[in-house]
Amino acid sequence: MNVKAISTDVLLGIVPIALLVAVWQGISSFGYAPMTLLPPPGLVFMRLVQQLATDTFQQAIIATLFRLFAGFSIAVILGVGIGLAAAASPAVNAVVRPIVRVLAPLPKVALYPALLLLLGFGHESKIVLVAADALFPILLSTYYGASMVEQKLIWSAMAAGTPRHQILFKVVLPAAVPSILTGCRIGLVISCIVVFLAEMITSTEGLGHLLVTAARTFQAVDMFVPLITISLLGLTLNALLQALRSYLLRGFPEI
Amino acid sequence: MMVARMLVSRLAPLLACLGLLAIWQAGALTLSTESFPTALEALRAVPAILGDRESLVNILASLRRMSIAFSVALVVSIPLGLMMGRNRFVACFFNPLLMITYPVPKAALMPIIMLWLGVGDIAKMLVIFLGVSLPVIYHSFQGARAVEEKMLWSGAAMGLSAAQRMIRIVLPAALPEILTGCRTGLVLALITMVTSEMIARQSGAGNILFNSLDMGQYDIVYAMIIIIGALGIGLDAAFERLRRRLVRWSEPGFEIPLSFA
Repeated sequence: MNVKAISTDVLLGIVPIALLVAVWQGISSFGYAPMTLLPPPGLVFMRLVQQLATDTFQQAIIATLFRLFAGFSIAVILGVGIGLAAAASPAVNAVVRPIVRVLAPLPKVALYPALLLLLGFGHESKIVLVAADALFPILLSTYYGASMVEQKLIWSAMAAGTPRHQILFKVVLPAAVPSILTGCRIGLVISCIVVFLAEMITSTEGLGHLLVTAARTFQAVDMFVPLITISLLGLTLNALLQALRSYLLRGFPEI
Repeated sequence: MMVARMLVSRLAPLLACLGLLAIWQAGALTLSTESFPTALEALRAVPAILGDRESLVNILASLRRMSIAFSVALVVSIPLGLMMGRNRFVACFFNPLLMITYPVPKAALMPIIMLWLGVGDIAKMLVIFLGVSLPVIYHSFQGARAVEEKMLWSGAAMGLSAAQRMIRIVLPAALPEILTGCRTGLVLALITMVTSEMIARQSGAGNILFNSLDMGQYDIVYAMIIIIGALGIGLDAAFERLRRRLVRWSEPGFEIPLSFA
């Protein structure tokens, strides 16, 4: 694909977003919606820039990011570990598979009241909820990635004298990396969503809390600002993960 | 031997459930705080909730909202995803918009949508619809993109129109991937249902759950968690059965184990 084709693709992609903003602007400037219901986009973005400079807003972002990363890291470590173990050992698989089948479709948000009662209203309950929600996509894609590794690769490594306990880390793990990273991407989006929801339910800090306080006082402008911020955070983190992916998979053909 | 093994694999999820409940029971007995009742106490409160007319009506109302929103989302998202997969123009048009909206927590839109539409059914169904449609669009898109060109050419050579090719070739070929998206969407629908009712405390399962939390009725909290969890597991299992029937042709009949020995 040449440069010109790519630029028309990008332009085409901007059209619906621009249209959305235009309709938003139109509705509010022609007076179909009062300011209190739908503030014009310019006002919202001004407010966003203005808020980003303030101390409280930065602290809210830091609190949210901390919970997000803590939960997500726990999910990655547990998910990749358990996924690899289940792919490598039939005994572990026999135990893990039914438990995952029961727990994966369980709506984790429903567990949140229990976590609140057990772990309190601070960071812990939110981190555990994020980890529980992000865990299963990562675990499942690690497991599928690791069980799809070509048997020939393992045989070749064994023929070349690799000890059995090293095969897992030298052959299976690298071969499963594309699939693991796909799982991480899904897990990351879920983490963004869940951390925000948890903060909306009960919190004294964080972006979700800002949204709830704005909603209670009917400050429509302040309600849009945390939403846009979490969306931007999600996009940034997604782009970082994408960069990590193309770095880690730099030898692989087309992924 | 075969029969015994079949039986064990059938019963494994049930055994897992029992194991988890046992761990809960043991944990509650060792901690023995008031806010963490044992599994037995929570299970005992389940029939009381299901027997109560008002809570039953609430839970059924939640399920009705969820199923309507889920069906509407499927009707809109699958055709859109398939079109995106087969047409570069449509894909470029919608892809960036979907990428931007993906990490937005849909239930967090609830307070804003409530401002516009009130706390009624429509606001909740809209939020569930938004939550379900994105994964379904994404998976339909991926599924339609992976359809082999040769099959489409053959179809065209045999005189199928573009619309017929879409329904008779692309849809069945993408079906396994679409159904994966629907399964994700189903779990998301349940999550969004609970959260939307928690934010707009008016009716529904999420309302009972968080109201009892606020009032300190801990056995009801845990019993509601069991009910909502069972709903999730039951719906997922039912959907999985349906999926297996629909796409039996696409999967190997046996699982290929990986051996390190």
